[in-house]
Amino acid sequence: MEKSLTTLENGTTCSSWNYSGQRIATGSVDGTLSIFDSGDPASTSFKCTSKARVSESGVVKVVWIPPVFGDAVACIDGNGSLSLWEDLAEDAQAVEWKHCKSFQSNSAKVLDVQFGVFRTILKMVVAYSDGQVKVYELSNPLELKNWQLQAEFQNLTDSVAKSAKASCFSASISWNPQRGGGQELRFVLGFNSDTPQLNSSKVWEFDLDHQRWVPVGELALPEDRKDQVFSVAWAPNIGRPYEVIAVATHKGIALWHLGSNPDVQGRLAVERVALLSGYEAGFGKWNGI
Amino acid sequence: MPGLAPGDSAGGVPDSVNGTLVPYSSDSHVSAIYPLRHGLNPPISRVSVSWGRGNSLRVSVFRQPDSDPKSDGEVGGRVVEVTLGKSRDGEISDAQWRKIAYGSVSPFALLQSRKNSTASLSRMQLSPSPYHLEWWEYVMEYSKDISSLLGDPKTALAPLIEDPNEVFPKKVEEPSSLKAAWELMEMFYVDKLSQAWLPERLVDWLADYDSLISIDLPTVHSKLVEFQNQIVTLQVIEDDPRYWDLISSALAVGWLEIVVKLLRLHGSYRLDQLGRRETENGLVEAVAVLISKMPRMRPAIDAGKIGECFKAKPDFVKAWERWRAQITKLDSSAFWVQCDHRQTREGLKNMLQIMLGNVDVLCSSTCHWMELYISHFLYIRPFTAGLESMYSLAQKCIRLKHTSNPHKLMRLMIGILGENNEVVLAECSRGFGTWMVAHAIELLTAGSNEADILVHEEREDLGGISLEELHRLVYAQLLSSHLLTWQIAPIYLTSCMRQGMGLLEILLLKQPVQENQMLLKNLEICRLYELDGISSHLMEISGMYHWKHGRKGCAVFWLQQAHDEVRLSRIASQLFDSVGKSISGESFKQWEGLIELLGSEGQLAGGLNFLHKYRDFKKCLQHAESRKDADAARQAVESLMSLMRNASTPQRFWLPILYDAVKLLSWDEGPLINVSQTNLLLNKLQELSVARLRPDFVEPELPTQALNHVRYSLGTNLGRAILGEL
Repeated sequence: MEKSLTTLENGTTCSSWNYSGQRIATGSVDGTLSIFDSGDPASTSFKCTSKARVSESGVVKVVWIPPVFGDAVACIDGNGSLSLWEDLAEDAQAVEWKHCKSFQSNSAKVLDVQFGVFRTILKMVVAYSDGQVKVYELSNPLELKNWQLQAEFQNLTDSVAKSAKASCFSASISWNPQRGGGQELRFVLGFNSDTPQLNSSKVWEFDLDHQRWVPVGELALPEDRKDQVFSVAWAPNIGRPYEVIAVATHKGIALWHLGSNPDVQGRLAVERVALLSGYEAGFGKWNGI
Repeated sequence: MPGLAPGDSAGGVPDSVNGTLVPYSSDSHVSAIYPLRHGLNPPISRVSVSWGRGNSLRVSVFRQPDSDPKSDGEVGGRVVEVTLGKSRDGEISDAQWRKIAYGSVSPFALLQSRKNSTASLSRMQLSPSPYHLEWWEYVMEYSKDISSLLGDPKTALAPLIEDPNEVFPKKVEEPSSLKAAWELMEMFYVDKLSQAWLPERLVDWLADYDSLISIDLPTVHSKLVEFQNQIVTLQVIEDDPRYWDLISSALAVGWLEIVVKLLRLHGSYRLDQLGRRETENGLVEAVAVLISKMPRMRPAIDAGKIGECFKAKPDFVKAWERWRAQITKLDSSAFWVQCDHRQTREGLKNMLQIMLGNVDVLCSSTCHWMELYISHFLYIRPFTAGLESMYSLAQKCIRLKHTSNPHKLMRLMIGILGENNEVVLAECSRGFGTWMVAHAIELLTAGSNEADILVHEEREDLGGISLEELHRLVYAQLLSSHLLTWQIAPIYLTSCMRQGMGLLEILLLKQPVQENQMLLKNLEICRLYELDGISSHLMEISGMYHWKHGRKGCAVFWLQQAHDEVRLSRIASQLFDSVGKSISGESFKQWEGLIELLGSEGQLAGGLNFLHKYRDFKKCLQHAESRKDADAARQAVESLMSLMRNASTPQRFWLPILYDAVKLLSWDEGPLINVSQTNLLLNKLQELSVARLRPDFVEPELPTQALNHVRYSLGTNLGRAILGEL
């Protein structure tokens, strides 16, 4: 039995729930960010508590920042620029969104952004339409203003073979939703682009000894490596000896198991355990899981 | 376990993918697992999916943005929430289900702790104490505790005057199929004492639950209820064929009190009829007496019920044969010829045939195979023992009374009789919901070794967990989906060795921390289960929430509780920024308060010490200035000197401190700082001037002539001090 929680206005294009499911942020074609709150945890009806004009062109994607860094969202707008907004209202009842930071990029558009936390440091992975991937780090955990570019690379297993400027339509990033602080920092990234080598989903791990990001696994069968990837999602590990990651391509949704023990070269074992097909997935129509 | 919800087009990324058991058809045609109604008009452009707590899925459905200004009335999208998975029996209300869920927590927890202590005793190879009960007795206690929760008591008012027409006794509780199923499980698997009287137990069970065993077909119970309503209208009850039909049916299933009551409604008992219908009445009464003396193979009989009980087989056999002989004698007596009323004669003869165990008559008197089965136990084979023979008898009865759409209770019964553990588990889950299977597993494993092995085996395809753990996790996920029940989920999760703690951590991390009460409750749960990492994380989130929304004191408190050194040191550095600047009023109080809260322990000890001293100095200075108090001024001088002497005072703050202290240097009433102190300060100033020449020196934000001003003031003070000491 489904239950309607709220209705959205005409023009809403995207939505995202915060960590506790108490707030939902939506973006619309006119560049407005709207926040719906449920009031108290017991009620399940949501009302719009604030709106902020965050861009001139429409908002394409909204992503919440991990709660330990504040009530904040990242917005990707139609022009491909990324901005961070935070709720800094002093009054418990009011909601006030302030702009913290914008990331302008001259040529490339931002396709996806996701946040990960590693030992109290907030990291942000941004995928661009020219095939570049940038990792930023927050300098001061108390404010969201100062970010440092930590790494820049392309989604290729062989880092030497850098490709020329690619043209990517969409990208998908998913961090390993780890809870303890001690585990390795990893995320999985896939592209939907015209450069086949960039497409397949690769698992990236931060190598602390050499202070750089290395690919430790590729989630595609050899014959499928050129397939465009529409969406990826990393499942939380609740005590399994392997990790479960879902990858969506035009062939369907594939479920992968990622082993925990690296081999001699530092690569992790990958195994595709299921393929759910049967969806009428056309280019651009199938966008995620 | 929840599967992946197919959408026509989707966007957004879910928070969790529980990909253990995924329903997946290999045909190209994918059948919808759940059709979602959102009430929006097409075209639907995007769907965004996110997991809420437990099994609840939140789906945002977006329509194509309408550029047409005329269609203002259309909504752009809708957010719906769906709870996946079959949670429970459709018959029970929400409130009743919650009562059962809350009530079953303590029996479950008690049983688990007993299990653990028994296991640890056996590991230590200690012999159990004489007070130690057998395992099945513990499970029996557990079963009784839960069974008491399952009934739905109706407040039945006992009638003051017993209505002679009231054949059917009013029930104290409304029967529920959940309770029926639970009692079946208890009867067959746990209750070792009644294993010998299993057939009689089933007779009692049917008496309680006959109303539930079939949805569409009539049962004896339904026939009785129907007739009950019409008794009043009937003039001559013994003329109605339904009367005799009903008596036979009730006799066949062993509801002897009802039979006798119905018989006594016979017209021949009426005072005005007694003269004419003596023989008839005699026959009716004879049959009634025979029925009330029916021997039963059971230890005891409830009050108000009729029949004679025998515990030992030889006694029973003797009584049985005697009883049968009496029936046969009655059957062949001469009085039947003298009985005028045809229906009575035929009806009573039919009843005698039932009592003699005539299969055809039994078959025609009963409606459902279960009733026929019971009648076999009563009249044909009272010594049936062992599940195999019970199962083959059941199959024979099913063949005789075939039904196409068996009720879930019946399917469960067949699974139990057939000793087919997988079927039993599957029927519990399918027919009665996750609560049933999570709790009834304890009953099943107590009764059957094979079930114990089946349920505790670790399976690779489930990620290394056993079936028992799987069902508990599924139940816990269900509990987590509802706001009012998520707090009892931890008890089930912590009994799951492999994946329970992981799910518990996820559950706790999704709790909001804005309200203090909720936060404290969650922290208590973390403390109970020793989840220190989670409680630190929750406290950090709370601390940052308060910090960002202006409640800095609260924030520092929570961050200290969480031992978050990184953020606390950042806060301390922010406080350093205020050194040397003129802050007053509210912001000074806040600054001062924060320093106080931060305390002087921890990694920042040196820096915080300095801040404390500096704060004291500023306070004294403010006092001195505002009240022109010489004592306060002297105190300020003391703190100034201790600051400047202290090695932990960072060099970059020397000039700001001295600049602040200029007011002390030019005190009207006389020099406050003596010669040696002034010399020390001048030396420090000299050091500072030299240090300024170094490339990495950071200039404090002070007016450009600050250094000279301070030097001038110090010089003046030196002069006055020397003069004063002469």
